Amino acid sequence: MERHRYGRIVVTLAVTLALVALVAAVGSADETCNSPYVTKLIKGQEDYVYVWALGVEGLGDGSDKLVTIDVNPKSKTYGKVLNAVSVGSRGEAHHMGFTDDRRFIWAGGLSEPKIYVFDIGTDPGRPKLVKTIADMAERTGYLGPHTYYAMPGRMLVQALSNTKDKGGRTGMALYNNAGAFIGSYPMPTDGGGDGYGYDLAVNPRKNVLLTSSFTGYDNYMRPLGDLVKDPEAMKHFGNTMVVWDLKAMKTKQVLAVPGAPLEIRWSLAPGHDWAITAAALTSKLWLVKQDKGEWVAKDVATIGDPAKIPLPVDISITRDGKGLWVNTFMDGTTRYFDLSNPEAPKETYHKVTGKQVNMISQSWDGRRVYITSSLLANWDKGGADNEQFLRGFRWDGKELTPAFEVDFTKEQLGRAHHMKLGSKSLRSAPATQ
Amino acid sequence: MITRCLAAALSAWLISAAPGALGAVAPATAHEREAVPALDFEPPAVGTYTLQRIMAAPDGEVLGLDGRPRRLAAYTHGRITLLGFIYTTCVDPDGCPRAYRVFDAVHETVASAPALRDRVRLVTLSFDPARDTPTTMGHYAGSRARPGAVPWLFLTTRSARELMPLVEGFGQDIRYAVDRSGGAPRRELSHVLKVFLIDRAGYVREIYSSTFLHPRTILNDITTLLLEERAR
Repeated sequence: MERHRYGRIVVTLAVTLALVALVAAVGSADETCNSPYVTKLIKGQEDYVYVWALGVEGLGDGSDKLVTIDVNPKSKTYGKVLNAVSVGSRGEAHHMGFTDDRRFIWAGGLSEPKIYVFDIGTDPGRPKLVKTIADMAERTGYLGPHTYYAMPGRMLVQALSNTKDKGGRTGMALYNNAGAFIGSYPMPTDGGGDGYGYDLAVNPRKNVLLTSSFTGYDNYMRPLGDLVKDPEAMKHFGNTMVVWDLKAMKTKQVLAVPGAPLEIRWSLAPGHDWAITAAALTSKLWLVKQDKGEWVAKDVATIGDPAKIPLPVDISITRDGKGLWVNTFMDGTTRYFDLSNPEAPKETYHKVTGKQVNMISQSWDGRRVYITSSLLANWDKGGADNEQFLRGFRWDGKELTPAFEVDFTKEQLGRAHHMKLGSKSLRSAPATQ
Repeated sequence: MITRCLAAALSAWLISAAPGALGAVAPATAHEREAVPALDFEPPAVGTYTLQRIMAAPDGEVLGLDGRPRRLAAYTHGRITLLGFIYTTCVDPDGCPRAYRVFDAVHETVASAPALRDRVRLVTLSFDPARDTPTTMGHYAGSRARPGAVPWLFLTTRSARELMPLVEGFGQDIRYAVDRSGGAPRRELSHVLKVFLIDRAGYVREIYSSTFLHPRTILNDITTLLLEERAR
């Protein structure tokens, strides 16, 4: 077995080195929204969408699972489920992220401190669960790993809560790529910090790590209808973003961004050193940029009618930094903002793409857009409005045209949440994890 | 007291050295003199931050320029080590040649710093054993491989079989890939530019990607590790 493995590698190396030798320095980004340290951008047609799905009691095995869907229009199984890897339990599956070498996906749930590591390099069409990291709570006291962000040789994991009081005070845990714990970094509670966490994103050129803030387990695991009627509970949402010195992993500035700022997207265009985020509760777009050496956050646009609480839940920036998709959960609407002037984004298109919509991802060229339906198990709508799907669309710059749909309820897969793109061409040597 | 004095002296020296001295590189056999691009940020001050123990540096058999086998561990312990993978035919200016320029600048600066020169080494390890024989590595190294106060080892391996555990152990991904973005499939060898800073005990303490791979950040980190050693 070992001989076979190394024989393959020898052949691969020999063949490869005789061909074009090209060093891939760290790319500016993955398919528009991943860590800049993630390599191997899929600049052509992606073959797969990996969907991290929440298990639903009584549906299939009821467990969280990583679902692989064929999204290559030239494939005979286009729009079909190729594979589903169950983790054997239900833990409020939420987000996932690639390691820097793009050989593994780390994924986790918000109701447990476990992190699942899937090998997608050995066979990109058939991911395998190769490791479960279960020491985050013991090591850090954090609960609900949310963002998995590749750093060189390691993963920075932003949690949402803590095991002590299950409130919003939390922090980041750092692991190496083999899954060994390295260290932790609490979210600041001084200098204006509220201690909450949600997303994180890096601008290496500026040595900046930017984090956002949401709420704790007590709130995000509570039925949304109950939560919004509880004024005291509604006070416990994040209202800040934090600028960190990435190299030192120390807080530099705390920015006031009221209303639970969620996903963070740095513009990928050369020379752009600004990021954008959407505040869920206030339905605002916020721009984070440098001004005279200091970082500032500016409210630059309104998303829908804030009075109706459309709840912007995910955003996806185009590779040139000139456009932004925004999904608003409550009205099931997908919106496109012209970001040509990031100081004044303008909505130029919208379409109802589901009865509830959450995550949105786009291909590198922006021509394909993927949307899923689930926000949180207890926040999703009920009855007929509880559609659970992955929907693929084509985007010609003017209109979103439906291309395919996978019904996650009919397929007994659960609630469709986070997505990552995959490609057959990213098959690597056998993994060692 | 010693720690504070050393920190102050090294900080002053590093500040005085940058950016001119740290941006200049000596001529290389295979690479022309070229300035290292300036950093677009002010790195944190020496000794004000912690470099985490990321992982133990892997061990395996390597070949020196004399063709004799040795354990890599001999070159990852006892001194602070800056280690990078290269292959001598790499021509991407943002890849191996850039790393080489940075190594050159670090080597030159460390050699001129009495507080550093006996505590640091550099290691350049090929991940192309088929082409990069000890003889080829010797040509690549040129005068840099000559014995001096700051060792710079140019190493290769006998085969991919011996190389791969090191590559995997460091997490230095090398991949065969097909890029279809241009229409016709194009085969590529790709690797992420990574350089590893290893402490005297053999632990990887920093992994530099292209944006952080700069003499200033590396020298700051080396000095920070030295301060950490003295604080124990």
